[in-house]
Amino acid sequence: MNSKRMRLNASDGTKLPWRKLLYVKQDYPDNYVDDTFLDALQKNVNVRIYDYWTTVYESGVIAQHISSIVIFIAVFINLEQQKLATNSLIIAGTLMTSLGYIFWDYSVVQTVPSYASKRNKTAKGALFFFATLLGLSPILRTLTLKTSDDTIYALTACLFIVNMLSHDYSAGPRNIIKFPGSLSTNAAIFASVMLASRLQTNMGVFGLTAFAVEWFALFPIFRRHLQNTTQAGHTALSIIMLAASVTLFIHISKAVVFIYILGITFITFICPAWLIRIQKYKNEIHGPWDEAQPKLQPSREKYYKHR
Amino acid sequence: VIIVTHSYGQRTGVRYLTNGLKVYYVPTMVIYSSATFPNLYGFFPIFRNIVIRENIDIVHGHGAFSSLCHEAILHGRTMGLKACFTDHSLFGFADASSILTNKLLKFTLSDIDHVICVSHTSKENTVLRAALSPRHVSVIPNAVVASQFLPDPTAADPNFITIVVISRLVYRKGMDLLVAIIPRICAMHPKVKFIIGGDGPKRIDLEQMREKHLLHDRVELIGSVPHHDVRNVLIQGHIFLNTSLTEAFCIAIVEAACAGQGLVPFFSRLSVVSTKVGGVPEVLPRHMINYAKPEEDAVSKAIHMIRYEVVKPATFNDELKDKYSWKNVAERTEKVYDLISMTQNSPLIERLRRYYGCGLYAGKIFCMVIALDYLFWIFLEIIFPRDAIERAQRFPYKKYQTFEYSKRCELPATTDSKNDDIK
Repeated sequence: MNSKRMRLNASDGTKLPWRKLLYVKQDYPDNYVDDTFLDALQKNVNVRIYDYWTTVYESGVIAQHISSIVIFIAVFINLEQQKLATNSLIIAGTLMTSLGYIFWDYSVVQTVPSYASKRNKTAKGALFFFATLLGLSPILRTLTLKTSDDTIYALTACLFIVNMLSHDYSAGPRNIIKFPGSLSTNAAIFASVMLASRLQTNMGVFGLTAFAVEWFALFPIFRRHLQNTTQAGHTALSIIMLAASVTLFIHISKAVVFIYILGITFITFICPAWLIRIQKYKNEIHGPWDEAQPKLQPSREKYYKHR
Repeated sequence: VIIVTHSYGQRTGVRYLTNGLKVYYVPTMVIYSSATFPNLYGFFPIFRNIVIRENIDIVHGHGAFSSLCHEAILHGRTMGLKACFTDHSLFGFADASSILTNKLLKFTLSDIDHVICVSHTSKENTVLRAALSPRHVSVIPNAVVASQFLPDPTAADPNFITIVVISRLVYRKGMDLLVAIIPRICAMHPKVKFIIGGDGPKRIDLEQMREKHLLHDRVELIGSVPHHDVRNVLIQGHIFLNTSLTEAFCIAIVEAACAGQGLVPFFSRLSVVSTKVGGVPEVLPRHMINYAKPEEDAVSKAIHMIRYEVVKPATFNDELKDKYSWKNVAERTEKVYDLISMTQNSPLIERLRRYYGCGLYAGKIFCMVIALDYLFWIFLEIIFPRDAIERAQRFPYKKYQTFEYSKRCELPATTDSKNDDIK
């Protein structure tokens, strides 16, 4: 029996080096620890080194989004207290949307020329949508007549938090909208409909809902596009939105403005520094025991979900 | 040696298996895929009773995902027994289930006498996961019963080249890779047939692929194969394909290599093609296996290359019979048991100190769990005293083996119906 099994002893009795094999009988005990133990271990190979100012720049997305929510709430409060006329809101909204669309269309056509044919369809779609909204606004106005103010405000607050948390903050072109992103837009529109139903006039309801659709559904597309194209434009937009939210809210509540500025400073300046500081605790381990990533043909890969 | 496991359907209580092996099927609740409900202290009374009945000295648990294993080791250590653990799989470090299981493993392995792993890669993996000293980990590979996997050159169909795949049909076993390769191979070689044994969630993907490429006559899905039938499926093939994405020690390829034989003509040997992951490179010698990277192109190429290999007339079954035998595994495991029997038991405070080092919050929680376990043990000792538990009779192994041997040596003329019943 012993003669058949391969022995790794040299004839003069000195030990041959240990080999990482299971089918040979080696002259080492089972719990022997060789010098090559854990040689294949790789630590922290995929770790990115973050740069502070780049991270600050990237955090502008979150600041912009929070500012957009604050501006919207300010607009609603001003509308309700009739400090802001409905007509001016509608005109301002339409103007800004058209300008934004022209800018976006101009830059997209330069990269994807086939987009020019879609202009007619977009214009027709927009017209149809706003006409429907105008027709539905009397119904929306009486939607929450029986509900108390507190319920509406609590629900709206929850929905805006959901919107903030589930918003798709990543950069890059978008082909399909994945689940968390659509949840955020839905929550925002739901919240705006709730708020709009508190207003007194039909036109007010139409104005606020139209503004909400433009603000929460179309404006993020514009912001993402700006982030992908110009650096200066992105930073400028963040500062403009910050200034706008402060000016709009300062007459309503100074405490909110203070908390808001504190929050934005925290997110923009302190969080990146914190993230970079805790990178030193990162302990990523790779080795031959890792589950292999099967490399399939690209056409097939998108059909195979991980697990 | 006794085995304690959970009940399988109606099969509960005490059973005696072949050669007098005693198995306790404990009636615990099974939740999903043969996993028991983790019942931390509920298992203790019955476990204590079994251990005292059978005069157990060492508790040997298997499998990091087995809750019975972790509980048994925990309670065994509280009662002062020696504990040993065998790890059979590889785990990553990055996803949620791995992080939680590794923490649990760190808990169990904080206070254990020895750990056994089935391959060197598995040893490195376990040492990292549970933060153990590598000197306390032995590598004892699994084995096969080579006599159950004898080759049969006549069983394979000479008109086709048959590729056999037997595995659980799950993501971890590389089923996505298989679904991608089969149409390619079938298109490239018109005389290739696939036999796929086993069941699992990815079976639907395979059937869809078969429908899409109209390969009903080329791809056969035979479903779940019981263990005694595996050899009959293996001998029908010329090539055994293993596409797993991670393996600690792949018994399937050893079984397949056993069932192969090396006589010409060209394709009557069962060649093995496997992905080179985990502990697979340590298992078989180079001439018995062909490796491929877990990429669709690479695996197709490896199967393609087999056609042009020169077949060496070797009998792999005899080779593997000596390399991997359960007797060898038993000898090495006995050495481990002897080693741990000689160590002294540490006092409770030492155990608590070891558990405390598991983490900032986890250490404290684990200490609380152990303390409660210890109190529960004292409580059980008072309520159910040791002397009241009846000691079980030992199964007369020697007498049984002599009897079996004498039965086998008896001439056929002297056998009568009574002896046939006993056989």
